[in-house]
Amino acid sequence: MSSVTMEARCLEKRGSFFKLIDTIASEIGELKQEMVQTDLMLEDGSTDLQSPVKDMDNVCPEKKDLKGCPRDSGYDSLSNKLSILDKLLHTHPVWLQLGLNDAEAVEILQSQPPGIFLVRKSTRMQKKVLSLRLPNEFGSRLKEFAIKESTYTFSLEGSGISFADLFRLIAFYCISRDVLPFTLKLPHAIAAAKTEAELEDIAQLGLNFWSSPANNNPPNPSPPRRPLPSDNACKDSRQLCLINGVHSIRTRTPSELECSQTNGALCFINPLFLKVHSQDVSGSLKRQSPRTQDVNGTEKPRSPPPRPPPPSINSLLTSPQLSTSIKQASMPGTVNHNKYRNLDLLQKKPTPVPPPRLKKQAVSLEGEGNAKTVAVIRSSHNSVRGSETACDPGEALCEQNLTACRKTLATNSESLVQWNGGRQRLSDMSISTSSSDSLDFDRSMPLFGYEGDTNSSLEDFEGESDQESMAPPLKPKKKRNSSFVLPKIVKSQLRKVSGVFSSFMTPEKRMIKKIAELSQDKRTYFGCLVQDYVSFLQENKECHVSSTDMLQTIRQFMTQVKNYLSQSSELDPPIESLIPEDQIDVVLEKAMHKCILKPLKGHIEAMLKEFHTVDGSWKQLKENLQLVRQRNPQELGVYVPTPDFVDVEKIKVKFMTMQKMYSPEKKVMLLLRVCKLIYTVMENNSGRMYGADDFLPVLTYVVAQCDMLELDTEIEYMMELLDPSLLHGEGGYYLTSAYGALSLIKNFQEEQAARLLSSEARDTLRQWHKRRTTNRTIPSVDDFQNYLRVAFQEVNSGCTGKTLLVRPYITTEDVCQLCAEKFKVDNPEDYSLFLFIDDTWQQLTEDTYPQKIKAELHSRPQPQVFHFVYKRINSDPYGAIFQNNDDNSTL
Amino acid sequence: MMAIRELKVCLLGDTGVGKSSIVCRFVQDHFDHNISPTIGASFMTKTVPCGNELHKFLIWDTAGQERFHSLAPMYYRGSAAAVIVYDITKQDSFHTLKKWVKELKEHGPENIVMAIAGNKCDLSDLREVPMKDAKEYAESIGAIVVETSAKNAINIEELFQGISRQIPPLDSHENGNNGAIKLGKQTTQTTRRCC
Repeated sequence: MSSVTMEARCLEKRGSFFKLIDTIASEIGELKQEMVQTDLMLEDGSTDLQSPVKDMDNVCPEKKDLKGCPRDSGYDSLSNKLSILDKLLHTHPVWLQLGLNDAEAVEILQSQPPGIFLVRKSTRMQKKVLSLRLPNEFGSRLKEFAIKESTYTFSLEGSGISFADLFRLIAFYCISRDVLPFTLKLPHAIAAAKTEAELEDIAQLGLNFWSSPANNNPPNPSPPRRPLPSDNACKDSRQLCLINGVHSIRTRTPSELECSQTNGALCFINPLFLKVHSQDVSGSLKRQSPRTQDVNGTEKPRSPPPRPPPPSINSLLTSPQLSTSIKQASMPGTVNHNKYRNLDLLQKKPTPVPPPRLKKQAVSLEGEGNAKTVAVIRSSHNSVRGSETACDPGEALCEQNLTACRKTLATNSESLVQWNGGRQRLSDMSISTSSSDSLDFDRSMPLFGYEGDTNSSLEDFEGESDQESMAPPLKPKKKRNSSFVLPKIVKSQLRKVSGVFSSFMTPEKRMIKKIAELSQDKRTYFGCLVQDYVSFLQENKECHVSSTDMLQTIRQFMTQVKNYLSQSSELDPPIESLIPEDQIDVVLEKAMHKCILKPLKGHIEAMLKEFHTVDGSWKQLKENLQLVRQRNPQELGVYVPTPDFVDVEKIKVKFMTMQKMYSPEKKVMLLLRVCKLIYTVMENNSGRMYGADDFLPVLTYVVAQCDMLELDTEIEYMMELLDPSLLHGEGGYYLTSAYGALSLIKNFQEEQAARLLSSEARDTLRQWHKRRTTNRTIPSVDDFQNYLRVAFQEVNSGCTGKTLLVRPYITTEDVCQLCAEKFKVDNPEDYSLFLFIDDTWQQLTEDTYPQKIKAELHSRPQPQVFHFVYKRINSDPYGAIFQNNDDNSTL
Repeated sequence: MMAIRELKVCLLGDTGVGKSSIVCRFVQDHFDHNISPTIGASFMTKTVPCGNELHKFLIWDTAGQERFHSLAPMYYRGSAAAVIVYDITKQDSFHTLKKWVKELKEHGPENIVMAIAGNKCDLSDLREVPMKDAKEYAESIGAIVVETSAKNAINIEELFQGISRQIPPLDSHENGNNGAIKLGKQTTQTTRRCC
């Protein structure tokens, strides 16, 4: 990609980009003011944020990049600044033991010092519990605290403090006891660990850690900390660190916030709850709360509390070559050089695709919004170590360049240098060798480090916005142009910003993003599964016999992959630790839409169109749509207010937006909005509630008025791909109704033909046939619908009968008029239609339907003799009618 | 906390017999403002306690006109219960009801709970369908039967309580103690599916 084009794009997009930067800058400004702790970095922080503006014309902003590079955090880690949260994230294979039963938990914990804990799932309580080792004087050795999971949060039962995920919950209870008898204690080895490598070593032991020599306790274990006195609010955060002998929490300057991903949490307590429980919370946390609340309140009023900057498991830069290699790598030439060399290197060493079930310790994937995979080239290739190390930071940059190129250059990526997204399987990479001797090597090879990070986080940001703008009203809208293509430099600068944004993401979004990233990563089994399936479908158009077949296969695949993901260990940390249990399926479903339906949407649409063109159903729909549109609402059975032209246009817009969505759930959401609008029009402020009797005809009318053939495929897409568990809900109902409306339209002609005998008539006729075969042999013409035999009775002239053409919806009033003509009555107002049955006369009111009455009488189990008689209202009919008894009997 | 079971209930019956009035009455009396209302009266939900469970009724109204008849299977598919409504002042509507029962027996979900509601019992002056007929018929098909008045809120709650009682409780051990995470998940899915 030429820099000229890029600059042009820069200019194009500069306006909107500036706006974004401005927002962020002002946001950071506010943060600064609220900060308790200020330091010299503040100045730098703000310059850094605005630097992209200055750097727009500069193709090689190495200096800036270097300065703001998140990898600087590596130095932090070297000086032992791992937070409790980091330690917990790294070592969850040790303490997060969801499969452990009661006895095993006792077994492990009884030999541990007080304060040590495990998180597991109690089969007795059917819940996650915190199993805590108590000091011996407490009587029992172990106490379990149930963990409550609501739709969005985790909390300890009895506590008012909620957390977005389990890690944050545990981290909090490591420093504050709240409802616990004392604070939690990390095993000594974890508390004392100074580097991520040490933690990784521990994590690799998994459950074995507890019995291994690594878990040797310090000579004089400090007793668990007693409840903090309430006046401890003034104690500074350094004292908190001492609790577990590690750095725990401290406030951040904006510059730290943006560049460090490894440090302690900014705030991991939902600030909403701080007031209630502030006596348990350290002073520093208290001071933080107004700040976060402010951010919360101004930026995203209804979104969950901001997330701390995601810690990173990614490797640390220990090499002194760091700065030089970055400089080299960021030169365009070097970029390519590095790139291809790297690719060659990879292709030389084929190793098998990872097996479906990986050991947890083997995959080092980090959740926190910027998943980084640590790839390992087998230890036998130690010779390449030096160059790989050099590649590390450089890779991050060159990948960004490439990403930018990829986005702006070509739409079809077949020929692109897409070395981890392309078709060829990168089987030369192995996820890990889990031996600890390769660990240092391991850490120096985060090949896909920032590529995945920046690319997907920005893509997510863009991709989300087009979908999100239509999300339910509860979610804040992100006003952003979906076609916004970021120039590479801007992008590299934005990386930090997006890091800040990702820290605002809810665990749900982070999880979805992480799964989406995983699905792009062919080194994982899950990634292979998804990518292979997607490309298989795209290449094999003939593999499905019908549209339903195709959609059902896709749905089945999504369900299977979901099952796989919920059981496999490829998600690390496990999804249970981040997402409350009743939400896991929901989150996985959304992730499936993103990683399977999103790439397939275009293909599916094209295929559906093809299927329907070939089988002629579109032609049929098109013709019938024309017919239905010519009908007025009453002819379609609509007797309530209908949407006018403007409303129909609004509805059309909603349907068109629907077409852009890939997620069936979001499509359904739009369908619901359309239906809501229809209800509003129908009710027309009358306060009347309309059921399906009225709604379905109106919906049919509206669908016809919209005149969109594509609706057919849209409905089909939703019907087949929507999560089956949603099909019984409101979305499922209106989807069914829309499907029904469309099939009524499709079969309009046939229905019209069949209606020659009206619907009721058909049914009566059927009953009539049944009765007829037993009672009578030859049907007479008046038994048919549309004909009515009426006797005319005059006092003087006796009785005459005529068979009249009377359609089912003709009222008595009209029949009377007809009789007056046929029988040549001069004063019709004196005459009326009567029903003579069971020896009694019933005068029919003007608004009744004689045909319906007849149908009803015919359908009675015991056939009765009855006659319709047109006669004078006030005459004495009794004798007259029986005088003509014979005549009547032939009716 | 009690487990919530979602139960799909479909409403069948002639147009004009008061299907949606019954549901509106049921849902809107003692309306729980915590539950987000649905967009319209064709689909409504209400949660009621039943033993150790909460039953969340997902009530699907159908259009009673004959021309929509062919769509009905899409609506009653997967229903745990069907409320078939007739108008006690219209003999016709009782015949339609019998037709629906027959169709449900032939094509409806297995073990579907059937409840017959003779609506408009406030208009007993105009009664065409004797209570006795309905009772005998309901007995012959093993259905619940009540005469209701959506207008005067008579027997509406009872109708749905009757349905709740007929829904077999979830297998206790399925809900229970021996499950690891995996089983727990399956339980939730079963809960969803069974309605």
